[in-house]
Amino acid sequence: MQVYSTPKSIKKDSKFTFCPGCDHGLAIKLTAEVIDELNLREKTLAVASSGCSVFLYNFLDVDCIESPHGRAAAVATGAKRAFRAQNKDRFVFTYQGDGDFASIGLGESLHSALRGENISIICINNTNYGMTGGQMGPTSTIGQITTTSPLGRNKNYHGFPIKAAEHIALCEGTAFSARCTLYDIKNIINTKKQIKRAFDCQLKGLGFSFVEILSSCPTNWKLSPKDAHKKIENELSKIYPIGIFKDISND
Amino acid sequence: MSYIELDKNKCKSCYLCIDTCPKKLITKSSEIGSNGNYVVQFKDEKKECLGCAMCAMICPDIAITSVYKDE
Amino acid sequence: MSEKQLLKGNIAIAKAALKAGCKCYFGYPITPQSEIGEFLSLEMQQKNLGYVCAESEIGAINMALGAVAAGAKAMVSSSSCAVSLMQETLSYAASDELPIVLVNVMRAGPGQGYIYPSQGDYNQAVIGGGNGDYHTIVLSPSSVEECALMTYQAFYLSQKYRNPVILLVDGFLGQMAEAVEIKENPYPEIDNSSWCLQGADNRPSRKIHSLEPNQDKLNQHIINLNKKYHTIEQAEADYESYYCDDADIIITAFGSMARITKAICNHYKKRGIKIGLLRPKTLWPFPYQKLRELSKKTKIFIDIEMNSGQMLKDVKLSIRDDASISFIGKPVGDFLKFEEITYAIDNIIKESNLASL
Repeated sequence: MQVYSTPKSIKKDSKFTFCPGCDHGLAIKLTAEVIDELNLREKTLAVASSGCSVFLYNFLDVDCIESPHGRAAAVATGAKRAFRAQNKDRFVFTYQGDGDFASIGLGESLHSALRGENISIICINNTNYGMTGGQMGPTSTIGQITTTSPLGRNKNYHGFPIKAAEHIALCEGTAFSARCTLYDIKNIINTKKQIKRAFDCQLKGLGFSFVEILSSCPTNWKLSPKDAHKKIENELSKIYPIGIFKDISND
Repeated sequence: MSYIELDKNKCKSCYLCIDTCPKKLITKSSEIGSNGNYVVQFKDEKKECLGCAMCAMICPDIAITSVYKDE
Repeated sequence: MSEKQLLKGNIAIAKAALKAGCKCYFGYPITPQSEIGEFLSLEMQQKNLGYVCAESEIGAINMALGAVAAGAKAMVSSSSCAVSLMQETLSYAASDELPIVLVNVMRAGPGQGYIYPSQGDYNQAVIGGGNGDYHTIVLSPSSVEECALMTYQAFYLSQKYRNPVILLVDGFLGQMAEAVEIKENPYPEIDNSSWCLQGADNRPSRKIHSLEPNQDKLNQHIINLNKKYHTIEQAEADYESYYCDDADIIITAFGSMARITKAICNHYKKRGIKIGLLRPKTLWPFPYQKLRELSKKTKIFIDIEMNSGQMLKDVKLSIRDDASISFIGKPVGDFLKFEEITYAIDNIIKESNLASL
């Protein structure tokens, strides 16, 4: 009996262009699995952003639009509103990095959550600007060495990182906000569960749903894929706790 | 008999599957992949594969395309 | 119902947008265009259409990007300094070939400037404020009635060519009320089902993106865009010609400035001097061809603008060295007074030794 197969919503013969061991691949794969399980492929519009996440449209076999850097939540808002204005029931989600979601696009992100836009957002938090070569990002941790914080991020000099899932949970329009990670099988299963919950919130029309995925960036962290996962397990998941910060779907 | 199907063209030699397989049935091969590293191979001479699919679940590149479990 | 109403240009635009089938409006308040959003906020909510008072102009135009990709007609409106915030997404929309309609009811700049009328955004709209090789179609109304007609035209051209269209409106026109009849939309609907993103149902999935790592593909994309721009230039350049045939002098002016210029033409006609007006209705594509033809006969051109001479360079490009060109302008504020313009024109006439004087 076949117990595992490549998700249908992954384009045939597509090969991920991420670095070896990058968790982006896992996150896209899980997203595709959830799209398959919820039968959303034919009614989905995915919004890709700038950074490593942009190539989503090359891998996911759903309709996809690239947004300018940071504006994915606004693009998704417009699309969802337009579908409603055309009496079309469509599923809209964005796939963004932490720089896109929580730095350049924080205004669009936060206001989409505050308005309670009925969209879903998957945010890959790998604590740096990966595509441009590992500069300090909004989520880089105190002490983290990056190409633009060569002495380590200093709270007095560089300021503090942002905890996106906790912030989004504070918004009244947020239906669901969770942080999960991918460093082992148990967490991979949990991440898929949280993505499914988030997507379910949109399908039920409950409002803004958000999943922050604490992910590895072996290349820019200068670690092997295995050690990058260990860093998440031992270090990062202490700073960015795994959990559900808001869920109104059971209320 | 449980087994996996591996697409060597998609393997980027991250070796996460090697650490994940509970039976250590996945190892480095002597074949060099597109990334310039040895791609992995699946060898199960003693028919030990559990069909647990953990290797496929952790593979970030969907190089493990299918897993079959013995019923 | 077709009867005349007293309407501001801003309201005429909003009413025409609804009649043109605009399904979504996104905006952020800024004087002198806020009435557009105010009017549509009620209408769109009551009609179950999409209206978002966005967190910023950047948010607003990106919502429009999403809405038009999802197959709906969408409009954003703003003014000068805030339109500057939208330039990035305008460049994306041009590359993505997405039909956003952007209304810019101009105020004075640079920077915040003030809410005084000005035509200072000609360069931004016509040359483009975003990055890369692209063009937006730019329409320039000169009356409240034309505000409505050109709103229809903006939606039509944007859909026809899958290109962003800017309706470049003088602050005067946005705020000025005239008795107008909002006519029916004269343009046909254009089917967008071949490209819009409404779900990969019974067809392969589609992607809309401007990023292209493949050099050859990116080159080809830009070449294809330019072929489209060439087609637009050939087909859509539009103008109003007022007494231009056999004119001794031709004035070029756009928007509300052209309205006053007609009175100038009539004034000199009484004095036996033939002055014509050539008013571009499309600023891009610019009516180079028409001006080129006129410059073969008429040897004196005067460009009048409410800025420091922005359309002037396009007029110069048209007439080349075949005629002389003078500029009369004032960057900001009240219109140039009738006497100020005639004084300047009288001087030009004296210097040019026109036989009739």
